[in-house]
Amino acid sequence: MKTFTETLYDAYGQEFAVDKIYFENKTAHQHLIIFENASFGRVMALDGIVQTTQADEFIYHEMLTHVPLMAHGEARRVLIIGGGDGGILREVCKHASVEQITQVEIDAQVIEMCKEYLPAHSAGAYDDPRVNIVVDDAANFVRECDEQFDVIISDSTDPIGPGDVLFTSDFYQNCKRCLKQGGVLVAQNGVAFMQLDEVTTTARRMQTLFTDQSFYSAAVPSYIGGIMTFAWATDNSALRCANVDKIAERFSQADIKCRYYNPAIHVASFALPQYIIDALNEVYQS
Amino acid sequence: MTRITIERADQAQQYQDLLQEHGAPLLVLDCAQLVKQYEDLSSALPGVELFYAIKSLPHAAVIQTLKMLGSGFDIATTGEIEMLREEGVNPRHTIHTHPIKRDRDIRDALRYGCTTFVVDNIWEIEKFVEYRHRVGLLLRVSFPNANTKIDLSRKFGCAENEAMLLIQKAQSLGLHVKGLSFHAGSQCPDARNHVRAIQRCASLIEEVYETTGKLLSVLDIGGGFPANYMQSVEDIDTFCAPIREELRKLPDHVRVIAEPGRFLSAPTMKAVSTVMGKAKRGDSTWYYLDDGVYGSYSGQIFDHVEYPLSIFSDVEETERAVLSGPTCDSIDVIAEGVEIPPLSIGDIVVGHQMGAYTAASSTHFNLFDKAQIVAINELPQVTDENVVFLDQPLQSEPVDFNHQHTL
Repeated sequence: MKTFTETLYDAYGQEFAVDKIYFENKTAHQHLIIFENASFGRVMALDGIVQTTQADEFIYHEMLTHVPLMAHGEARRVLIIGGGDGGILREVCKHASVEQITQVEIDAQVIEMCKEYLPAHSAGAYDDPRVNIVVDDAANFVRECDEQFDVIISDSTDPIGPGDVLFTSDFYQNCKRCLKQGGVLVAQNGVAFMQLDEVTTTARRMQTLFTDQSFYSAAVPSYIGGIMTFAWATDNSALRCANVDKIAERFSQADIKCRYYNPAIHVASFALPQYIIDALNEVYQS
Repeated sequence: MTRITIERADQAQQYQDLLQEHGAPLLVLDCAQLVKQYEDLSSALPGVELFYAIKSLPHAAVIQTLKMLGSGFDIATTGEIEMLREEGVNPRHTIHTHPIKRDRDIRDALRYGCTTFVVDNIWEIEKFVEYRHRVGLLLRVSFPNANTKIDLSRKFGCAENEAMLLIQKAQSLGLHVKGLSFHAGSQCPDARNHVRAIQRCASLIEEVYETTGKLLSVLDIGGGFPANYMQSVEDIDTFCAPIREELRKLPDHVRVIAEPGRFLSAPTMKAVSTVMGKAKRGDSTWYYLDDGVYGSYSGQIFDHVEYPLSIFSDVEETERAVLSGPTCDSIDVIAEGVEIPPLSIGDIVVGHQMGAYTAASSTHFNLFDKAQIVAINELPQVTDENVVFLDQPLQSEPVDFNHQHTL
């Protein structure tokens, strides 16, 4: 039997039985693989680290998309950073009120490969007429962009991989410039129990730029080690305080079917465990 | 052992055939010899996991052969990582042993999936704070070495009396120090340094547990296992006997690993060069070979080694000769003042034990081409084993060497 062993941590890890390899691209600089696993369906891994799986991707993509869009309530223009597998795009496209979606992906091949091997991720969203795909380094795109968006969603790889520039102060600053008044930036921010530094580093960098900065969370089984955090940054502090009735009203109007997200989860996801609050308090106080 | 062995002229044929096919100069890499070296060392050190130090001979055929035998790999640079990735080596079977790294070196190794790193000072430990949840560290301790050809205790390794403090400091920064490593030198004449270092590490492991309550569960005993050059050395089983004895006394929880380079690679390669010109100078005949100390014989400079040589002649009379390399530099001399039968232009000179630190440190000086490496007796590839990170059981059938070349 073949197995895939994740190489994220030295002293802890997860292993997948590999039933079939669909795709593999191995160069001296990078290693990408898509394989079949009995529990998680199709699994995509980059450089030994699981990026997404067919079985649990809905948790991640729904939470990274619907929380900011429902909190905002009137998002017309959305910018997606990375997200080449198309999962975020699929979720954004569910919002009929969104008029324009720009997605910046550095590697056009990732999109093509995911369309072929992970078709359920994008589920045809790349054909939506509201979508504009830009093949560019996102750090470069936001630096030179003169458009503004209601919501920016950063769906990057982890900060040690090729996505490291998407965790810098410069990047956040340029995102802020690309946000309309009252807009919100959300970003994938790692598994806090294993990588608490990622939370505090992001907090340190974002809090000087935005008046309201926090995190919300969801447990994604294939991102092992507990809850995954999503960074939240905006100058409109009312967005985070929207009550469950308000969210429920918007959700019902939007008429979107979800498997993880619902208004109660939305509101509850901003509640953070004490160890994260303590770590953030240290950052905010210093 | 004498520097030059004069073999029968017809013995040159096997090399002529290779030159005919591939051109000169050549380095002939014998994978069957590599298998033997690996098996000899494995049985001399039962229970010790071997991590081949690929710096000694970074070559795809070496990596493939050792990978199939179940060896791990000791890496030091991103270039080495790239080679292992290309060859489909599972990063879980690698350790990064360079005590001094840039941040991007650490990130490159983490992206590959190598999570074990060696440190020997506080500044290096601090570099890992950012990655503390992802890595396990080995602290390299330096013990002064006597009698070793190349002393590795000067450039790297913390002093024994600093070890406890560094471990405590690392622990206070949230880092996991999982073990100790040492290097007893390279080409050690006997195992005294190893034995002493193992003893000292055993007491450190105990002391650390008593002081901090933390278990050090890995002991990396480095390399230093000698290859046969001009001076004959103890056979590996004899050499390792006192090491085995000492390892037996370690607590059960300690996993022992080693980083052999030279012992595995040195005997696996021969240099096959040809005479490209000759001249009478004073009382010596100068032979200019197509390979020299800027090429495959670079180990004579950097590695302080003289390699046993063979020439092929049925003539009995000898004359005084110099074997020189091809470049314009006068330092480029392989052997001087040797008594050999006269050679003709095109004749072959073979260098033995030329696998370790030869091709690895050869240069393009004068823009001479480096010797081409030709692998023979390669193990049959396991067909669908070319997937990185996928663990598969090693082939259990014995390897068939019926058709192997002998050199």
